[in-house]
Amino acid sequence: MKIGLFVPCYVDALYPEVGVATYKLLRSLGLEVDYPESQTCCGQPMGNAGFENMSGNLAEKYDDLFSGFDYVVAPSASCAAYVRLFHPEILKHDCVAAKKTLDLVEFLHDVLKVDHLLSKFSHKVSIHNSCHGVRELGLSSPSERNVPRFSKIRDLLSLVEGITILEPERVDECCGFGGMFSIEEPAVSTRMGTDKLKRHMATGAEYITGPDSSCLMHMQGIAKKQNLPIKFIHVAEILASGL
Amino acid sequence: MDTKEYILKNLRKNVRETYDMPDLSFRKRTYDNPVDAFIETTTTTAGAKLMEIKAGDDINQKIREAYPDAKIIASNIPGIEASLNPDSVAEAQELEKTDVGVIKGEVACAENGCVWIPQTMKEKAICFISECLVILVSRQNIVSNMHEAYERIQFNEYGFGTFISGPSKTADIEQSLVYGAQAARDVTIFLTD
Amino acid sequence: MSTKHSIAAEKFIQNSERVTRHDQTFWSVRSKRDALAYELDEWENLREAASNIKKHTVTHLADYLEQFEQNATRNGAIVHWAKDAEEYNQIVWSILRQHEVRKVVKSKSMLTEECHLNDHLIGNGIDVVETDLGERILQLMELAPSHIVMPAIHITREQVAECFRQKGIIAEHGAHAAEGILPEGEDYTQSSDPTFLTRAARYHLRDNFMTAECGMTGANFGIAETGDIVVCTNEGNADMSTSVPKLHIVSMGIEKLIPNYEAMGVFQRLLARHGTGQATTVYTSHFRGPRPGGEMHIILVDNGRSSILGNEEHWQTLKCMRCGACMNTCPVYRRSGGYSYTYFIPGPIGINLGMLKNPDEHYHNLSACSLCCSCDNVCPVKVDLSSQIYRWRQNLDGMHHSDAIKKAMSKGMKILFEHPSLYVTSLKFAPLVNVMPKCLTDIRLNGWAYGHTMPVFAKKSFHEIWKKQLKSENV
Repeated sequence: MKIGLFVPCYVDALYPEVGVATYKLLRSLGLEVDYPESQTCCGQPMGNAGFENMSGNLAEKYDDLFSGFDYVVAPSASCAAYVRLFHPEILKHDCVAAKKTLDLVEFLHDVLKVDHLLSKFSHKVSIHNSCHGVRELGLSSPSERNVPRFSKIRDLLSLVEGITILEPERVDECCGFGGMFSIEEPAVSTRMGTDKLKRHMATGAEYITGPDSSCLMHMQGIAKKQNLPIKFIHVAEILASGL
Repeated sequence: MDTKEYILKNLRKNVRETYDMPDLSFRKRTYDNPVDAFIETTTTTAGAKLMEIKAGDDINQKIREAYPDAKIIASNIPGIEASLNPDSVAEAQELEKTDVGVIKGEVACAENGCVWIPQTMKEKAICFISECLVILVSRQNIVSNMHEAYERIQFNEYGFGTFISGPSKTADIEQSLVYGAQAARDVTIFLTD
Repeated sequence: MSTKHSIAAEKFIQNSERVTRHDQTFWSVRSKRDALAYELDEWENLREAASNIKKHTVTHLADYLEQFEQNATRNGAIVHWAKDAEEYNQIVWSILRQHEVRKVVKSKSMLTEECHLNDHLIGNGIDVVETDLGERILQLMELAPSHIVMPAIHITREQVAECFRQKGIIAEHGAHAAEGILPEGEDYTQSSDPTFLTRAARYHLRDNFMTAECGMTGANFGIAETGDIVVCTNEGNADMSTSVPKLHIVSMGIEKLIPNYEAMGVFQRLLARHGTGQATTVYTSHFRGPRPGGEMHIILVDNGRSSILGNEEHWQTLKCMRCGACMNTCPVYRRSGGYSYTYFIPGPIGINLGMLKNPDEHYHNLSACSLCCSCDNVCPVKVDLSSQIYRWRQNLDGMHHSDAIKKAMSKGMKILFEHPSLYVTSLKFAPLVNVMPKCLTDIRLNGWAYGHTMPVFAKKSFHEIWKKQLKSENV
């Protein structure tokens, strides 16, 4: 199985260790992985800011770069969601690569159906269910709906030795990142982030973990500013720990 | 073009795609014992009281038991001892001093404690203006859910009917629940055979 | 890079305790709704059905309106049609004048807010009395609603008590209201007990019900097949308003119509569960004609609705039944309050309806969304609220309302991301930002710096790690 690795722009620049963990994890599972070097961004930042029309070329290029792979895997639920759900709408045509693009969690859970891992992480973690992960990709059951409860993130983390998995009250309330939202509505965004941090911390967790570095970046920035004693780690890093 | 014509024309012009009425035959919640469920809902979430009336019970006696301090009782139900009759008062305002209004419900719904009360009196004010309300309803007429209730309800020439579930309530001040907003502040369901 | 919403929200957020209270109040309503959702197996079937019934009805609305008019007329009601707020207000005024009405008791109606009916009537010398407790409090305080279902929930009990004292309600009804409610000997004139205040309002409103010549209600639903108007309340104020006065005027937006009782069963089960987290409202009243010796007028109001139907991206807002669930779940609404929005309906549905009403005035509300999509999942009729907000944002530039800084940033990103070599070069130099003096990166213009420290660029980007290390290992 040939996997195209998509490492979104901000992960590339700010959290390369998440990309590395994803790569190592996929390789450890015996997959052929390649990283097309001229990749940059899915275009979501422009779309959320109201300039979706500026992301058309990026979407076309994404399709060119990745259409030859069996799957495209990204360690970012929000970016994977943007590619899969929005690229075809932006381009108004079928996108081969978009259809095959998955977030790391859904790829491991749904495609590979991973049922054991060699990783070990002896810490208490609180799962951050990012909005687009929950409500666009279906990584866990949205709390608003009467559907059977599930969490693909929890399922995968449960395979890690030594881990204690916790979840905050208001399990999938937004942390307030929202891309340009955090800059345009700083007061609301910061308040949402602060509230979310408090609920994560109330679980007694040492780490907040999730499939989206963007939410983690937002909460990390607030936690640092307020000197809150909580650490952040991407799900990929936990799953790849020890590799 | 008059307004009605304008609105209808604009609506017809602006439809791009039409949709069919969906199939509503999916399974709805029913209870093995709707009567028990109705009693439970009525006395908990709906905030009403409930008295089970047996054959041979004296209803007037039961009303006095439920509301011993009541001075003015209003009703048009034959056999109910009432000092005011909503059929014979000249104006609705005359019912304002009613302590207990006694009315009849036709269908009761287990899932939410709603009782269907068609207007059967000249002044429907009795259903709302009374401080306290006694609603007579037969246990034979209890259904599980609102779908069933809507299949059963009937209108008469008065052209009004209401589902009532418990006393009037509000939480408009700091979300604290208070019974007795504008209409009846206490409701007792008399569950008859 | 700020909007009227973000500025008002920042002010609201200054009072942290108030935000906490506001957030918890509406979250608790959302939680009650969830509890009801989880215990009902057919929950998602009901939502799907409600959405499809509405889609069907609004795309056959002209036929259903004609059917409704026929049936309502046969039932003895008088049906009027109003194309806009002005015509609507005139129709109401002419009915009132004809009946020499001096006082109107009114139950809550968002449509009358939309059309500014009260101002119109009061300007013509009519005494208009709102009878929903929350609406009455706001009317006495001369404030607008901050939520469509719980309009005065942001007001504290102390503020209500103060208002009632000022308006003479405590002096007139306080002694009576205190009986059996407050401990004997307690000075009721200083009490802010909610039960006492509600009781005082009850007696105050009773006086008005007894003396009004007209009762006005909105309509939660109109039923085409029977001509019924259905009004749902907890307080019974719509029923009080229509049980004493002989004249009943119903104001209904044309989109409130549903086909029949089968559909009504679906909506009755959804409305209160979504709106307030109750299995039902206390009263679900069906008005099928005037009361004995009275008159019932039904005014069908368009006011832009028939045009919305033609809007490919936003016509589904017509499915909305104004339950308020999207506000309760909206993390932005809960933390910014109803008054931070420029349109009288706040929250996700209000953002969309405001844009449909007047984009030049209401585009400021588009910033009030983190695109978390929770609203889409609570909506009982499945309006795609967050997608619609996303689409409005795409149209702002064409409306000349886009933000210059956001546009410049997006353009910059476009250039950067479309040129991989430029992108890779900037990745190399990005860590330099880390060592720039804080005063250069932490500027006031930078919204991020409001609540965050700046993110730290990695010494080596993934691109670099790939090229220098992983790529060679990847065999």
